[in-house]
Amino acid sequence: MFLTRSEYDRGVNTFSPEGRLFQVEYAIEAIKLGTTAIGIRTGEGALLAVEKRITSPLLVADSIEKILEIDGHVACAMSGLTADSRTMIEHARVEALNHTFSYQEPIPVESVTQAVCDLALRFGEGADGQESTMSRPFGVALLIAGVDERGPQLYHTDPSGTFLRYEAKAIGAGSEGAQSALQEQYHRDISLADAEVLALKVLKQVMEEKLSNTNVQLAKVTKEAGYQIYTTDELQAVISRM
Amino acid sequence: MRTATAVAAPIEAHGHNHWSPYVDNGGTTLAIAGEDYVLVASDTRQSDGYAINSRYEPKAFVLSNNAVLGTSGCVADAKRLCEVLEQRAQLYQHKHDRQISTPALARLLSNTMYNRRMLPYYVFPVLAGLDSEGRGAAYAYDAIGSMERVTNSCFGSAETLIQPFLDNQVARNNQRGADPERLLTRQEALKIAIDAFTSATERDIYTGDYLEIFIIDAAGVHKETRELKHD
Amino acid sequence: MSIMQYNGSAVVAMVGKNCVAIAADKRLGQRALTVDMDFQKVFPVTDRTYVGLPGLATDVKTLSDRFRMRVNLYRHREERVIEPETFANMVSQIMYERRFGPYFVEPVVAGLDKKNKPFICGMDLLGCLNYANDFVVSGTASDNLFGMCESLWEPDLEPEELFETISQCLLNAVDRDAVSGWGAVVHIITPDGVITRDLKCRMD
Repeated sequence: MFLTRSEYDRGVNTFSPEGRLFQVEYAIEAIKLGTTAIGIRTGEGALLAVEKRITSPLLVADSIEKILEIDGHVACAMSGLTADSRTMIEHARVEALNHTFSYQEPIPVESVTQAVCDLALRFGEGADGQESTMSRPFGVALLIAGVDERGPQLYHTDPSGTFLRYEAKAIGAGSEGAQSALQEQYHRDISLADAEVLALKVLKQVMEEKLSNTNVQLAKVTKEAGYQIYTTDELQAVISRM
Repeated sequence: MRTATAVAAPIEAHGHNHWSPYVDNGGTTLAIAGEDYVLVASDTRQSDGYAINSRYEPKAFVLSNNAVLGTSGCVADAKRLCEVLEQRAQLYQHKHDRQISTPALARLLSNTMYNRRMLPYYVFPVLAGLDSEGRGAAYAYDAIGSMERVTNSCFGSAETLIQPFLDNQVARNNQRGADPERLLTRQEALKIAIDAFTSATERDIYTGDYLEIFIIDAAGVHKETRELKHD
Repeated sequence: MSIMQYNGSAVVAMVGKNCVAIAADKRLGQRALTVDMDFQKVFPVTDRTYVGLPGLATDVKTLSDRFRMRVNLYRHREERVIEPETFANMVSQIMYERRFGPYFVEPVVAGLDKKNKPFICGMDLLGCLNYANDFVVSGTASDNLFGMCESLWEPDLEPEELFETISQCLLNAVDRDAVSGWGAVVHIITPDGVITRDLKCRMD
């Protein structure tokens, strides 16, 4: 399979004769190396859960941040080359603040997602040969959770700039197993409390390490309180309900 | 055919042989906000100095999201401002797949005006529509985009005549024992708007001819036209 | 800024049913600076004729004194009390005397004549008379007063109604004028006598 690609997988802006952009496809592969991240949408709010790989006992677990706030009502979890997400989140935050400045209202969740995806294909050379900001596609996938007047929502973005709305979605190394577990256990009227437990249960299934209150991160976005990240104690409370 | 003789210097309408990009076309606009409606009223006389350009040239415009933009000042600027605002409302609709709300449009108008800080639109707009809770919302601006949500406001050539009247009758200033928070009913607002304009027409030469009243509520925009004095 | 706006003032007179009212604010300022909150701008001429003098304060004082002198002279020579209309013409004449160096005041005269018929009139700073049978306004808040009076005034108001109407007109007008207000005085002239009331208002 890889042998046939040799000609067309160098340039980021060259289609293969079969009509594929290999570099983008490789970027999507890169996400499968990342830690698992899970998003679940409920009627009460949207939930994000990520796994942190504590590769060394000397590593300060708190320094790993894989769930970030974009605006008071939108958050995002990531998997893959997380450094790439800095650019995207920076862009999303600017876009959200600009919207609030222009219209004195929170930006719709879909619009933030769209704004992030607009960045995805800005690699290679620009149309008129001008300098481009990126030389390769992003190697990161995002789960964007937020609440607006359409209610709680969950979006998934990938390096190709495609975004799709999900009820529940898993990305990263354990995504296949996690996604099928979610598919089995998710139902439309799941409560936020049940979703917390479900997210951690699914994470636990696919994690190599033993799940604890230091090697996972949990966050929710609700209509009432907006974005909230769980403290160690809050996390422990959820773990004890499992 | 005229022969080439001495030509008199052209009479400069704007004085001191100095051209100004701004013209005040007169006219007055007011807005009164209620519990579940908002009213915009403006006369339709358009003048330039002592000349009446038109007796029926409306200066309040219905926008695509059922908000009404009432204007006064320079008509050319007002029309362009309205076009720009409508264009931006359409762009918002395309980008976010929903109609722009009146409060969002109000902020957008403020930004649109402030963007021209150094060569402002010579327009004093009032924007009226319903807010997200369905209450009447009126926003008043100065020419460079300073914005305030108000229950009543008046701009234009009869502003000095009408605004104290609205303070008294809508905000109930100087009325002992009256509840200043109580919003007017539709009938009261309509009556006061008509009274304000018939009175202003008596004394302000730039206000008159016809009165256009827009009432915006959940059902949409309702317009009625009445006659004012033509003198 | 014109010298007419230097001190700030608002005067209004109104006709009622067998009565007239004249009211004025009390502020004296130097442009935006308020100097006095009890400055007299309405002066009694006779028992039933009052004159309001909005404009430049120095001329207000000079004119009020000159009017008093001329009214006293009239009374001595004629051995009768001056009628409001006669007084208005006297004021007009005094104003026009200074055609090329005018007093910066636009007076308002209000009174009842000997048949108890209401009389009001205003004039410009050159003395051009402006008779009215409803109301006259003058001073820096005159536009505001026009708007108020035009909408609140109606014919045949009884003295108490007239008091309420003129008070509301003046109060709401001066609230939208930065250089007038800070209190007001109202005189209701009726055949039975003059009712004088002081009004409190916003002081900003």
